[in-house]
Amino acid sequence: MEILDSYLRAVKRYLPRAQSNDIIKELSEDLRAQLDEKQAATGRPLNDEEMMAFFKLHGDPMTVARRYRQDNRSLSLGWELIGPELFPMYLILLTVNLTITIAAVTIISLIMHAPLNVDAFIVPVLAQIICLTVVFTLLNLVRRKYPQPWYYPPAELAPMLPVSRWYSIAGLVMWTPVIAWWLALPHFPQLILGSSAAHLKLAPTWHRFYVPILLLLVASVAQRVISLFRPNWTWLIPVTRLVINGAGVPILYGLMFKSGALVVVADGVQNAAQYQHLAENVNGTLRWGILGPWLWFYMGISAIIYGYYCIPHLRRLIRRTRGQALSAVV
Amino acid sequence: MAPGNSNHDLFENLRLELRRGSLILAVMASLQTEQYGYTLRKALTDHGMPIDEGTLYPLLRRLETQGLLVSEWREEDKRNKRFYRLSEDGKAIFKQLLAEWQSMNSSLNGIL
Repeated sequence: MEILDSYLRAVKRYLPRAQSNDIIKELSEDLRAQLDEKQAATGRPLNDEEMMAFFKLHGDPMTVARRYRQDNRSLSLGWELIGPELFPMYLILLTVNLTITIAAVTIISLIMHAPLNVDAFIVPVLAQIICLTVVFTLLNLVRRKYPQPWYYPPAELAPMLPVSRWYSIAGLVMWTPVIAWWLALPHFPQLILGSSAAHLKLAPTWHRFYVPILLLLVASVAQRVISLFRPNWTWLIPVTRLVINGAGVPILYGLMFKSGALVVVADGVQNAAQYQHLAENVNGTLRWGILGPWLWFYMGISAIIYGYYCIPHLRRLIRRTRGQALSAVV
Repeated sequence: MAPGNSNHDLFENLRLELRRGSLILAVMASLQTEQYGYTLRKALTDHGMPIDEGTLYPLLRRLETQGLLVSEWREEDKRNKRFYRLSEDGKAIFKQLLAEWQSMNSSLNGIL
């Protein structure tokens, strides 16, 4: 009944805290009775796939929990932006994001000895609120049109849910141009330097980081291609992303804090001293604006989250290996 | 949107609206005798009023909050189950609702 417990834990996450234990106890009893009835009908214990089919029919945890919430809170501006099913998740993610953002801004400001005032928080906090609201508004639109799929399968149930093709295709559409851009960068530095490319060039330090970053991008696209043709290899997403994000942290850390200038004045430029100032500005923008501490921080957090999503796959692998070992002994 | 789809959606919304009120009556009628959720759901299904647990349990909870039902956790067949029945207020309200429903039903039959 490991899957049942996982399912109930996932439902509980979205329930009002005061009643969650009571609701889960009753829901658990009902689901167990239904599963017992199915087992009696088949004359054998249900396997993982049959259990998963049962829970998929029962509904995704967020929707099931929403039926118990009597507040039905949502975000509307004349029309519904985020409906009551997604709203609890939106609030959870917004709280987590804002907490991380505020902590990150505080830590970075202290490290850099920058003034710690309200202005330092306004832009990152507003950016988080706007981005998350836009993403959830889009999800809400999709959900209204296609109400069935599980958008947030709990980690424990993820091994049973094949990766949808549109998800892999969307990833490919997004990341293939990024790889093309990265590959073109050494030949067309204006793709990152803009009009400054006439006077500036990428510094030799790029060579140290270029191939590792390219490999991470290739791994990311390769994962999407494999997921497209092998949607049942659900372990691939958390494992690859754990590796990519985990490897990305030291690479970006090195690029941010342990490398010299990323951009220098091009050879043979007249008035080099004047363009030196431009190079410093571009270096600052690249380092603190585009690459920034955010990407490094984001990859670290993502690695932790994907690590968590790897656990049920690992547990399943161990269970299977043990099962095979036992049957070999018998 | 195609007119067929639109009509289907409209019918579905109206059907759900019609069903919502009747379900409360059906649940209250069934809970004149004590039952737990799973058997209640099966009884309703057997009587042609299928209801999924995602609708039933929140409804039971709401009726209990309103004081129309009382519930009790008890062990049966080595399992803890929550048994529901109508409260005294629930019985009185059920009588009134039933009379109202019968009067509406006869009026509707007259109109039809």
